[in-house]
Amino acid sequence: MADRDTTVPRASSIGAEVYGFLLRASPLQRLAPHHRARVLMTLATVVALAFPILIDRNDADIDSAANALAFAALALGLNIVVGFAGLLDLGYAAFFAIGAYSYGFFASAQFMPAWSGFWLPFEWLHLVARLHQDSGDLVHFTVSFWLMLPISAAVAAFFGVLFGAPTLRLKGDYLAIVTLGFGEIVPIVARNWPTVTNGAMGLNGVAAPQIFGHAFGIDAMPYYYVGVGLVAVLIFTSTRLKQSRIGRAWMAIREDEIAAAAMGVNRVKFKLLAFAIGAAFAGATGTFYVAKLQTATPEMFMFPVSVMLLVMVVFGGIGSVWGVVVGALILQILQSWFLEDLSQWLHAFGRLINVEWLQRVELASSIELIFGVILVFMMLYRRQGLIPASKRVQALTLQEQTAQVELAATPMVERLRVLGDLTYRGTAPLLDIKDLTVRFGGLVALREVSLTVPARSVVAVIGPNGSGKSTLFNTVTGLVTAESGKVRFADYPIEGLPPHDVLGRGMARTFQNIRLFANLTVLENVMIGMHARLRTGAAGALLRLPGTQREEAQAREHALEILTLFGNRLIPRAEHVVSSLSYANRRRVEIARALASSPKLLLLDEPTAGMNPAETLELAGQIKQLHGQGLTIVLIEHKLDVVVSLADNVVVLDHGEKIAEGTPDAVRRNEEVIRAYLGRSAAVGNAPQGSAALA
Amino acid sequence: MMGWEAVYLQQVINGLSLGAMYALLALGFTMVYGILELINFAHFSVFMVASFIGMMALELFGLSGQSHILSGFALIGVMVFAFVATMLGAGLIGVAIERFALRPLRGIPGTVGMITTIGVNYILFNIILLTEGAGSFNYPNPMPRMEWPIGGARLELRELLIWAISLVLMLGLHFFVNKTRLGKAMRATAQDAEAARMMGVDVDRVIVMAFFLGSALAGAAALIFGLYYNYTSFIIGYTAGLRAFTAAVLGGIGSVSGAMVGGVIIGLIEALGGQIIAVRWTDVIIFSILVLVLVFAPTGLMGRSTPTKS
Repeated sequence: MADRDTTVPRASSIGAEVYGFLLRASPLQRLAPHHRARVLMTLATVVALAFPILIDRNDADIDSAANALAFAALALGLNIVVGFAGLLDLGYAAFFAIGAYSYGFFASAQFMPAWSGFWLPFEWLHLVARLHQDSGDLVHFTVSFWLMLPISAAVAAFFGVLFGAPTLRLKGDYLAIVTLGFGEIVPIVARNWPTVTNGAMGLNGVAAPQIFGHAFGIDAMPYYYVGVGLVAVLIFTSTRLKQSRIGRAWMAIREDEIAAAAMGVNRVKFKLLAFAIGAAFAGATGTFYVAKLQTATPEMFMFPVSVMLLVMVVFGGIGSVWGVVVGALILQILQSWFLEDLSQWLHAFGRLINVEWLQRVELASSIELIFGVILVFMMLYRRQGLIPASKRVQALTLQEQTAQVELAATPMVERLRVLGDLTYRGTAPLLDIKDLTVRFGGLVALREVSLTVPARSVVAVIGPNGSGKSTLFNTVTGLVTAESGKVRFADYPIEGLPPHDVLGRGMARTFQNIRLFANLTVLENVMIGMHARLRTGAAGALLRLPGTQREEAQAREHALEILTLFGNRLIPRAEHVVSSLSYANRRRVEIARALASSPKLLLLDEPTAGMNPAETLELAGQIKQLHGQGLTIVLIEHKLDVVVSLADNVVVLDHGEKIAEGTPDAVRRNEEVIRAYLGRSAAVGNAPQGSAALA
Repeated sequence: MMGWEAVYLQQVINGLSLGAMYALLALGFTMVYGILELINFAHFSVFMVASFIGMMALELFGLSGQSHILSGFALIGVMVFAFVATMLGAGLIGVAIERFALRPLRGIPGTVGMITTIGVNYILFNIILLTEGAGSFNYPNPMPRMEWPIGGARLELRELLIWAISLVLMLGLHFFVNKTRLGKAMRATAQDAEAARMMGVDVDRVIVMAFFLGSALAGAAALIFGLYYNYTSFIIGYTAGLRAFTAAVLGGIGSVSGAMVGGVIIGLIEALGGQIIAVRWTDVIIFSILVLVLVFAPTGLMGRSTPTKS
């Protein structure tokens, strides 16, 4: 992570400087950021609408532009899957094919069953027409293009879920290969299923769209405007989703799947949602593309198309909505105009200087070579793409960095009110673990461990490295499955619950080795912590009704208030990417993220590891304040002074077994504990020396 | 007219030859994955480029097509030269890919490395397409046409040769990995690169070695492809590569012996599946195996590591 951050600017430092200079010099820079976005958007709209007039109504060029828009739409869909959710899909063209054949099938003469009364209602709805033939009447499907746009999207989304479901357990490269397999299978099926697809010959006579009874002719202009509308809708959808609870959940999965689950994100649901929405984009675009070409052959949907779309996304900027649109348009324009023109110029130049081979160069055929070069070049030197998805925030000045630490300017109680009620008021113990056994292969990580955490208490779990402390946390929070034993949380059995449900019930945790969402900002990290407490769904994110807006604004405000728990340590860095933070600050962000889920029980796994004595003391004080607000806390800790100052009760694990339990003082004097830490001879020697070493 | 037993026997012979080729190609995938956890898409094109290198090596002796037949020491000498040249050429391409495209990205998590190899694959593919054209080439083959009848089927000299060469190469690799110092270093790096580095293993050298050996075996597979089918073309890398990759996954990616077993199984499935069902569905069968193995048994037949790493 750290490596990446240092190498990127160096590799492209000259380009970055030029880019920065242009940016500073441009008049746009004088506008406020939200005005800037609006000005650019208006400009893009005007250019898109006026484009056919600008290029003098040249039909071939408008046709290329319409094709380019289709690929921009596809790139937007792939960006949902790859860019937002981080699921590399190498067979995305399969969904394009499914959308294309859906429309092709229901708007062509490909499949014509014999006429019967069954079709009458459909005829009445104008979905089919009765074709009079001498040998008996036939059914001709004539479903409207406008109706098929959403239907194809839904069909493709269905297949997205179908393909996505079995692959959910797979990560990264393996997922890519499975999607590649699906991407190969779909065109082969299309080729070998002539009844539906007319095989390799391709569908014939797919109907052109109609509007108010006028069929689109052979003119490219109407298709161009449909394409503009489609891309506009998809940009709108992508942007709205990205800036919502849905988008944050996807990005959390992309950054760290385990942490996302532990913070309440239902991985299965959100991965399938990404697959479905991505596929829906491709389905609608397939319908548009086939309506425009009025044919469909299996070759239109093979692996090279999936790779081209990936190149567009990588080139424009993975995860960047405007980036992938620009990337797709540039590459398409390069392909259909620029390389042709360049070839012509080279031919002319070749004739001029009388060089034979220059007159034969066909650059358009080298487009795939260019794609390959772009992929390698972007990966090596500019992984964030042309238009990066996240802007880098100016680093703090030296003065800000070394600012006096200010803590607790307002009373803690005031600021914690946003968390809601942190206290569990039931009569049963808040957490009740009975005979928990966990086995990894032959290794017993936990053996019949029992542990009770009363409400409003602080329990410390200590023990040598490898004694099973973190495994205990992982098992209780649902990341690891226990072999046997019972876990009750707030009088409810939670063993076997998935991690996001455990969080939903009010148990939040931090990780020993810090699992933040590294490329997201401090504020975004904390807002993902609120995932389980927010309600916005995909429809809400799109419509952004007042209720959703209010929820979003409130979430943001609450996240900022949680950050103020740590005084001025995190607030000035709220918009910073967490990977740029110091180690201690990252630990604080992780605690803030856990608190954002309004837990009743907070599990802290070595919260002060890597902190200096002053920072440790500060954090211990903050934990104490949280406890004072009624929050129940279990912490794993090696620093015995922290344990002594915080814990009501200490549990000692060794080799997966509980060897002692009691007040900090009693445990400190326990011989078996000393033996576990320092070995047999120390225990046989003298205890005071041992306990001194312990402390 | 062959009886059905003879037809199946013939397809088993064909399948074993295909399988030997896929196994050699699968070894390259599995060795790189075992060490870097990287699926190397460039391997497809290394195979394809190598078949052109092999063709040029054979043409150095004035061979073209199948009309010029050699025998005795002349045949052995030409074949040894062709294999050595092709394997060396392919190995060097593999080393160059590692050095210039992948080493700068080492240690970056996620799919960055794989996307880069897709780009490298496209570059190699299109260099051949643009320089050699889209046609298919008649592959020079100096082997005499000898065949022996077995139970109604034919066993040809080319098949015996393919089996022998594949067996020698795989035994050689097995010996190298299990008995030599560098082989031990390779196994150690596959287990835990960081620990191996601390124990004094030159990890960079091990990675270069894995790319060299894997690519060289792809070179051998490429020459076998040319000698078996008597043609080559810019397009052969994708289909053969994906089948070999399926073989590596089926055997258990990262496992050397798994790649060999997987290769033979895929070869037999291709030959017999084409016979029993229909050739046009062969790819669907093979891709379905790929998907099903990855989804339901991702460790394959002999694999060790689970791919659902976090």
